[in-house]
Amino acid sequence: MINLENLTIQRGSRTIFSDFNSVIETGLVTIIKGENGSGKSTLLRALAGFTPLENGKIKLNKKNILSSTAEWSQKLIFIDTKNGLSTDLTIIENLKFWVAIKGWSTSEENLKKALKSVNIDKYANLFISQCSEGLKKRAALARLYYSFINKIDFWILDEPTNELDQPSRVLFQQLISSFLKQKGTVIIASHDLNILEKKFNIIDLTLLNKRNIK
Amino acid sequence: MKTSHSSWTYIFIAHMKRDFLTNSRSLIDLISIIGFMLLIILLFPLGIGPDKEKLGIVSNAIIWIGLIIAILPSLEKILQKDYESGWLDQIATTDVPLEIVLLSKSISYWLIVLIPTILSSPLFAILLSMELKYLPWLILSMSIGGLGISLIGLNGSALILGAKRGNILLPILIIPLMIPILIFGVGINEAVKIGESPFGNLFLLMALTLIYLVISPFISALLVRIAIGR
Repeated sequence: MINLENLTIQRGSRTIFSDFNSVIETGLVTIIKGENGSGKSTLLRALAGFTPLENGKIKLNKKNILSSTAEWSQKLIFIDTKNGLSTDLTIIENLKFWVAIKGWSTSEENLKKALKSVNIDKYANLFISQCSEGLKKRAALARLYYSFINKIDFWILDEPTNELDQPSRVLFQQLISSFLKQKGTVIIASHDLNILEKKFNIIDLTLLNKRNIK
Repeated sequence: MKTSHSSWTYIFIAHMKRDFLTNSRSLIDLISIIGFMLLIILLFPLGIGPDKEKLGIVSNAIIWIGLIIAILPSLEKILQKDYESGWLDQIATTDVPLEIVLLSKSISYWLIVLIPTILSSPLFAILLSMELKYLPWLILSMSIGGLGISLIGLNGSALILGAKRGNILLPILIIPLMIPILIFGVGINEAVKIGESPFGNLFLLMALTLIYLVISPFISALLVRIAIGR
């Protein structure tokens, strides 16, 4: 269980959250929903250890995860709307370098399987600059496959289905189902509550945001 | 499945390989820098006049200043593309210290951009009527000083991440930091010219570069953390 305790987060002079409390169950999917500007992405970035907290703690099994961000970051895969892809590299090169900097084996076999998991293996040698937004998103989501061969417990995903077509959404849902089977935890920020067929938890920032905007 | 691949050296090399590959696919950037430096250097004979003696006296300093001015527009790109694409976020979710990664970026920039530009300096030396016997010292001093410049550039690039008009701000922020490198770098060849030992300036330049080598990755890591935390 991840406990968000009295979180206060500011961006510049704007308070995004003030004394925000919530719980994220591990082994499940939690969707963070809210209007534009409600702080969904900020909360995800705080969970990933990027955005500093003005106050409060994020605890995993009663341990403050931000006190050892290096240890925490090894357990998660973070994909946001920027995707982290270089336009000067091909889809497979982007994946290969991402796997390498994670310190994992860059075997061709696994790279191909990862691309196959989101059905972009036939586009492997296409440069990112030549890809549609949907292909870019799938190229980023191919990283999720490595959760099944490495020790990853958490996915933190910002609007992962935005540019995906229906067949790609189905593949994404299959990846989530497989990850849940190995007791993984998925935290998604999205407007889209039809993202999953299965049950999931919701953290709704809409009301909270109306209270907290200063 | 953590393997030997998880060693810092392996990851350091992976970062450098990525930078080499991405830069090799945008060679126009390097050609632009060398072309820009050529234009800066061509302005001096036009301004001062073609007098070989006059040009010979200032040629060493002109090449150094030309290098610094020519690379300024490219310094912000050391981190800017990776910041905008979200790659820095991905780097931050690895267990290798950000300082190590940023050091690899600075070394990559030095090897990919600065060294080829410095190796073009014989052409500039000829244009400025510099005696060719001074060239080895010029290339040596610029190569060592170039590493210092790329480390300062890394800090500058990190400082303006996400800033509006950062490209205007960058030269104002980092040129003052490059002045000591310029002084000792130019001093090496000037000492040779008057028949003195260049090693005093050379060792000072090396010491300065080593200081930047130690502190720059920490400063830039701090700045990058602030930038990705926004």
